[in-house]
Order: sequence, then C-alpha cells, then structure tokens
Amino acid sequence: MDKAYRTIGKSILRTDAVDKVKGLAAFSADIDLSSPPLVLKVFRSGIPHAKIIKIHTEKALAIEGVLRVFTAKDIPGKNLLGIINKDQPLLAADKVRSAADAVALVAAETEEAALKALDAISVEYEKLPAVFSPEDAMAADAPLIHPKGNQLAARFVKKGDVEAIFQQCASVIERTYRTSMVEHNYLEPDAGIGYLDVDGTLVIYASTQNPHYDHKEIVTLLGVPDDKVRIIQATTGGGFGSKLDLNTQGFIGLALYHLKRAVRCVYTREEAYLATAKRHPLTIHMKTGADATGRLRALRAKIICDTGAYGSYGIAVMSRAAVHATGPYAFEAIDVESLCIYTNNPFCGAMRGFGTPQIAFAHESQIDLHAEDLKIDPLQIRLLNALRPGSETATGQVLTHSVGISQCIEAIRPYYESAISQWATAEHHPYKKRGIGVGAMWYGIGNTGVQNPSTARVEMDLSGAVTLYTGCADIGQGSTTILTQILAETLGLSPEQINVVAADTQFTTNAGATSASRQTYISGNAVKDAADKLSDVLRTEAVNKLRVSKKSLVFADGCVAVATNHEKCVDLASLAKRIHAKGAPLVWQGYFDPETVPLSPTDGQGIPYGTYAFACQMAQVVVDVLTGEITVERIVAAHDVGKAIHPENVKGQICGGTAMGIGFALMEEFKPGETKSMKDYVLPTSMDMPEVIPIIIESHEPSGPFGAKGVGEPALIPTAPAILNAISRALNQRIYTLPANLERVLDASIQSGHFAGRKK
Amino acid sequence: MKDFAYVRPKNLVEALSFLHEYGHDTKIIAGGTDVVVDLRAGVIKPEYLLDVSRLAELKGIQLRSDGLWVGAGVTLSEIFSSEVLECHAPALKKCAATFASKQIRNVATIGGNVAHCSPCADTIPPLVIHDADVVLASINGIRQLPLEHVVSGPYTCALPDQEIIMGFILKPAAVTHADFQKIGRRKALATARISMSYMARKDFRGKISFFRFSLGACTPTPRQWPMVEELLAGKVPTENLIWKAARLLSEKMIEITGRRSSTVYKEPAIQGLFVKMLYPMV
Repeated sequence: MDKAYRTIGKSILRTDAVDKVKGLAAFSADIDLSSPPLVLKVFRSGIPHAKIIKIHTEKALAIEGVLRVFTAKDIPGKNLLGIINKDQPLLAADKVRSAADAVALVAAETEEAALKALDAISVEYEKLPAVFSPEDAMAADAPLIHPKGNQLAARFVKKGDVEAIFQQCASVIERTYRTSMVEHNYLEPDAGIGYLDVDGTLVIYASTQNPHYDHKEIVTLLGVPDDKVRIIQATTGGGFGSKLDLNTQGFIGLALYHLKRAVRCVYTREEAYLATAKRHPLTIHMKTGADATGRLRALRAKIICDTGAYGSYGIAVMSRAAVHATGPYAFEAIDVESLCIYTNNPFCGAMRGFGTPQIAFAHESQIDLHAEDLKIDPLQIRLLNALRPGSETATGQVLTHSVGISQCIEAIRPYYESAISQWATAEHHPYKKRGIGVGAMWYGIGNTGVQNPSTARVEMDLSGAVTLYTGCADIGQGSTTILTQILAETLGLSPEQINVVAADTQFTTNAGATSASRQTYISGNAVKDAADKLSDVLRTEAVNKLRVSKKSLVFADGCVAVATNHEKCVDLASLAKRIHAKGAPLVWQGYFDPETVPLSPTDGQGIPYGTYAFACQMAQVVVDVLTGEITVERIVAAHDVGKAIHPENVKGQICGGTAMGIGFALMEEFKPGETKSMKDYVLPTSMDMPEVIPIIIESHEPSGPFGAKGVGEPALIPTAPAILNAISRALNQRIYTLPANLERVLDASIQSGHFAGRKK
Repeated sequence: MKDFAYVRPKNLVEALSFLHEYGHDTKIIAGGTDVVVDLRAGVIKPEYLLDVSRLAELKGIQLRSDGLWVGAGVTLSEIFSSEVLECHAPALKKCAATFASKQIRNVATIGGNVAHCSPCADTIPPLVIHDADVVLASINGIRQLPLEHVVSGPYTCALPDQEIIMGFILKPAAVTHADFQKIGRRKALATARISMSYMARKDFRGKISFFRFSLGACTPTPRQWPMVEELLAGKVPTENLIWKAARLLSEKMIEITGRRSSTVYKEPAIQGLFVKMLYPMV
C-alpha cells in the first residue's frame, strides 16, 4: 500500500507562508487602491424585537463628508439572505429581530464622518415582546419572530424500537446537557473592499470562506447579471465558520452599485462580536441503554438548538447534531428529535463542527456514565462499541472502508495506561485532584445528505507550465498547499512549479464552502479528477513518442518517462505543443461530489456523507478543589485522517483544535447584551495550552484523494468531552453544563465533599 | 476616539508645571495598558496625554532610611526581577509573576496600576500588607498619603489633577512566609476574580509572631483585615486554624459587600484560596 510519493505525505513549505511571514499578504483592510475608498459603517438596531415605524436619516445626511445613508428601500433586488433558508435581510425593512440587526448603511468620505452619521441616525420603533430562550420561544403564546413560526426546522433519526430495548438494558442513563454560545474569535475581524472596474463590473475583495456563494447572494441582492459582480477572496485571517455568512460583502455591493466609487467596510472587534454568527447553544436530553457487558443498544435524544434571530447554518447544525448523536458507536435502536428554534438572541451559524462538538459532550459523558455504572474501563467500553467496517450507522449507512476509530483508541492506550499507573498516583498537593479522561468522535466529511460538489480546472500552457484554478478559499488552514500537492503529485511536478489562481469568481469555478472539513476530500478530488484527465492526454501523447504502452509510463521531473527506465522520456513542453497542434485540449475541468442519499424527513434514514473522520483524545487534568481552577496538563490526540497529505499541517490543525476545545470546555461563553469584546470574553491563551501529542492515524479512504479525508473540525471535537470526563474522574462528580468554569468546578468540588471534606 | 495632544516632559519639574496649568484636561500615561484601552473605548477623552514613562524621578527600587522606595514608573517586569524586593517585599515580587501577560508586564507600571484604582489591581494587596504610603508631587511640593486614602473608590483616584504619583514607601519586613495568590478565568491576561497577599513570621516555637494580610477584587476599596490577623497572631498554624480564619474572612467580606450573585462562588473560593495560600505555613 505504501507508495513512494514525491510530495504527498511531505510537509512542504506552505504556499502562503513566505508572504505572511514577510507581512506582504494583503488583508481586506490593507488593500491599497489608487484613491482612498469611502468608509462604510452600519447602523444597528440596539433592540431585540421591534417594528420599524420610521427611519430618520436627514441629520446624518447633513453631516459634512456623508454621501449617502442607505436603507432597505435602496436595495434593488431581493433583500433576503441565507445559504440554507433565506430569512435574513441585509437591511431591516419592516422589523428588527435582534439587537444586532442592520437598519441603515452610511457611506462617508472619512471614518470620523461615518461615525458621526451613525450617532445622528434615529429610528422610531414599536417595541415587540422578545424571547431569549428556545423554551420561551416554543411557548404557545410566544411572540412570532418570523411569520412561519418560531420552529425553523426539525430533524428526526429513527431506527428500531428504543423503548423495548431500554427494558432489556442492564444500564440505562438519562441526563440533560447544556452548552454555551461561543464567539469564533478569528484573528482578522470581518472586512472587505470594492471598486468599479472599467467595464462596470462590481469587484469585491472580501474576507470570506465561500466566494461563489457571496457572488450568488450579491447578484440576487442587486438584481444584476452574473457577470456584473466579481468576488475575490482577500487574504483571510481565519473564519471558523462565521465567514460563511455574508458579513461585509452585501454592504459593499449595495454601496458600490449606487455610488460607483470604491468603498471599504471593516468591522471593529466589537462589531464582529455583535453582528456575526455564534456557535449554537444546545440543550440535549439524552437517554442511552447498555447491556451488562457494556454494549450500547438504544439511544433516545431530544436536541434543541437556539439559532437566534436567523437561520444561517442552523438547519445544518440541527441535522448534524442529530446524525452524530450516537458518537462513533453502533446502536441497535435510535430515536432522535432535533429542533432548530428562533429567538431574539444574536443569530447562530456555522462554527467548527456544526453541532458535533456539542453533541459529543453528551454522547461521551453518557458512555463514561455507563462505564462507571458497569465498572468497565472507559477505553475498553469505547473499543467494545466502536464502529468498524460492516457496522450500520444511525441513518442505516453501512460503513465499508476507513473506519479508524479502533486504531485511534488503541493509539491512546499506551499513554492512557502509563498516565493511570504513574501520573495519577504520583504524590501531589493534598488540595489538588488529578483526573484522566477520554473523548472520542466521528465526523461526516462534507454537507449532510445534500449535494456539495466541488470543481477545479487544470491548465497546461505550451511551455509545459501548469496552472490550477480553484474556487476554494484558503482561510489560513492550508487548502491551497494541499490542492497544489495533489496536482503536483499527479503530474510528477514539484509543488513550487504549480501556479494557483484561487477563489476569484471571474477565473475560478465553484468549489463550495470552506467548511464541513470538506476541501481536502471534495476539492482535492476535483483537482485530482482534472489532473488525471490532463495526465491521460499527456501519457497518450507520450506513447507516440516513446513507443511503449500507456500503462508503463509515469511522470518524473517534468517529463513523461518509461517506468522501468527514466532515461527514456519526453518533456512536458514538447508534449503540450504536440497535443495543441492536434487541437486536443490542454485545459481540463475536474468534478467531485461525494455519493450521498438524502435523509428521509420522517426517520432520517439515508447516506449523509461519503466518508467519516474519527478521533480519540485523552486529557490529563489537575483540579484545584479549593478554587475550581483547572490545569490541563496533557492532551494526547489520535486522529484518523485517511491520509495526511501534509502531516505538519494536520498536526497544526490538531493543536489549534485542542486550544479551541479547551476554551469550549472551560471558559468560553458569549452572553448576549453583556459580552462586547475580547475584554470581557475569556478564551485560552498560550499559557493555558497543555502539552499536546498529536498522533496521525491513516486508515485509507478509497474515495479520497490519495486516501485522504479531513481534520479541520474533528481536531476540536473530542477535547471538551475528554476534559469534562477527566474532571469527573478527578472529583467523582460530573458537570453537565459547559463551560466548566470556576463556579461550576468549585460547586462540583463542594458537592463531592472535596472542599468541605477537609473543613472540620 | 477623540484627538489629543501628546506631551513628553524631560523631567519631573516640567511635568508638574504642565499639570499645574493643564491638569484638568490631562490624562497621565505611563505604560498605557489601561489608558489606551479607555481612550479607544471613549471612557476618557483628554485634551492632553502626559507621558511620564521616561521620568528618572519616578524610577528605582531602593531600601532607604524612611523605608523601601518603589518608583511609580517601575514596570512589573522590573519588580519581578528586583533582588531588593525579593528580600524585603517578596509578595510584591510574586504578584508580578502572574500580572496580565509578559508583554504587558514589560510596560505596565506600579504607579499606573494603583492610579487606575481597579478593585482587581494585583499590586494593591501586596502594597497594603506593607502599609505603603503614596508619595505625591505637585508644583507645591511633595506629600505622603496612605495608599487607602488614594484609592478612594472603584476606578476613583482621590488625587487632584495637578498631582502625580512619584512612588511608594513600603515598610520592609523580615518574614519567614509571604505570598500573593489570585484566581483568574485563565492562566494569563486574567482579571483577578479574587486576589490576596500575606506575609508572616513564625517564631522558634512555631507560633505566628507577625502576620499581615490583604484581600483584592472583593471589596470596593483596599482595606485591612485586623480580625483575621488577630485570630492568627500568637498561634501555631494548623490546618484547622487556617480554615477557621478563612471562614472568618469570608464572613467579614460578606458583611461589607452583602450577598450578591457572585457570592455563591466567592464565599467558598475566598476560603479556598486563603487555605491554599497559607497551607505552606502548616
């Protein structure tokens, strides 16, 4: 199986590294135009639910340097946005549904004038009753946030007779779990800049995860032909899902359309906090049953997702949480109901994991509770229940290949056993307790049970130079490097010989969103498809020259050569010229869409994903029983990624995901109306980072490019469950609400007698 | 953010003359780690920023005849690496180990930390246990006030606009035990939920012959805790005794603040942190 690859599996220099280290990479706020662009600022409602009676802009318009104040009536096309369901206006027309709703847009010569204008705008509202929890929003007399009702959607996953099996189970555990609203905290707050091209095209550079979606939305918003809008992804400083929504792009498009002058919109950190999506807080009621040997048999869950004022990716979060409710374990019977509910909170959208980090907290706590109940080792009970080739998932999908969960668990074992025998028992402070916890996960690569294709174009010129055109947005995670490696490997070139044009809607075709850990698997396959087609033409042509069969030809150092004798070869430039002379194409389009079957609306049966990533992590945690402080000393993280195209990048994702997981587990909580900026939102610093030992497991995925799957979101998912299980082991008291902050941990310490126990 | 003029005097006299004339419209800046945040947020809108970070008169850490001098312009990093403080005010040195982050410690000054008057200021509890006086200068001369008189309320400094903090005079103490402890929501850049500091001497019989304690982040202004000190004085520190003092401390704290939603955590956490801090004496 192990092939001698030229670049796959090698940690080559990342395509973006040099420019970023030298400070040359241009983010949207840095891009220079010939003349200074107008400044755009957004006026936001400030109240959670109200009818708009009248918007007063006269005073703002009178301010020197203010050009225009736009409101909903200035939108020439359709004033409704959303990637899954369209429910969010760019500028509120008749009512506002959250305190962050945009009501007016100011365009001014200077930032000072724009800010003055914001202060001068006033809106007459008729206040409406507001609801801030899904429970209140589902009440019979709750105010309607959207006309169709406060329940946006529901997902059911049902298989077998859950109740009958619970009757037969030796261990039945039923608990309720709650997770917090979380802010993404990408380094670069949202930003974009736009100008009018000589031919009248609206050109918008933006910090984005999905330029082709942005294009479609703006064309619809403005009611202009497709070729009148061009979106180019500027260097993007992270996204974690929040830059899948249209944040600044729509405002830039609207102002450009009317003013035909260059404009820039840059959010402050405070505005990014206020106005962009958050991670959905989930309430999860879960009941699971296991037999006396620890084998899991039945699962019932009710999941409630607070999507805030708008849908954004809420339906995806709701569906993915439901589909992943079992964790990486086989169950005979399932009954999951997952609801997505509107409230007047800030809207929630995509965030690294789409509901899976939340549901993993529940399923990993449940399996540990069964382990405690049945006196089985936590690692052993996971191994016993782990999905394997031939297993059937909750949605009835039979897994055939690349089910690396058992390997991940086994990879943890030596660290786990030595931690138990040495670290846990080592002499330590009488007021500190040590705990070791395990967390596992599975994660379907790509969107849930819907088509999510990617495309790519590979072009060779007459000198043999190769250019890749991909719509895929590299937001810092390294997709451009990975796609370059895949193309270079297929054509026997060095990665630095490949030119890349990425994420520019004028020159690239749609690669879908940089989300759902899908770009390596799906766009990687699209690139490979295009590269394979070009490779076939080149080798076919080389047959004429080298006079051996096509299958005995390989790519080597910019040539096509005879596999057994590399001296016998022909260079790519000669082949390109010969192919071109014959009128055959040197430009090939690639395409890939994972084989899925849409989930049934009644019982969720179907094939939601083409493949799954798996992982198991172990956390070693020290609890200060006197203060509630937690120190995570070590995380061992084994991740099945199919094939690590760029191992250092995979390790980087694992370490970064772990950091985010620590924040989710211990400290991060966005409180609407209270949390304004990083000053009052606690996320981990480098000082909170433990030793992280990343372990790459490669369970080959036959449908993946060179066997690869994905790792971007999986990196984060098992960390919080592992830490929470470790705290529970340390204190012998479990915490069911995230984050496990000072208050909750000290309370658990008191409840378990560790605090009061010494108080004579 | 409003425009302002930036002024950097060459010496203290120049600074005091400027304050004499423009003090009302001036914000004094040293490290800027609080001032710049407040400027950007629009909490303060001065006409002038007077940069005192390079004034030699505000520098230095020395044991003098009148006490232990710590200049207001001394940075937290300088405090952390001071051998004089290691010897004569170890708790103050200790608080500089966990203060904000390394980057902030390199520029933030002790004078600025006190002048900002945050109830959570990390340097205040160690200054209180050393009965620190604040040395103040204006064009009319120099005077000394107890620290508790300067920090008159949360984020409220009881100084006239024309006056500047030159430094602090601490009572040095030869002790066998000293510490600073705080609880934060993360391991760096954490505002103290609770902080505390103490120093103590155990005599040859193992009894506490000297004990000073101060609590931070729990009461609106810094204060002394004589009843806690009295409870421990002259006794052999046992785990039981420390818990008893801890419970007394939390009772007294609640007498001052009343019960609030945060008391659910702070009541046990104060006890816990106190026991954790004093445990090495047992």
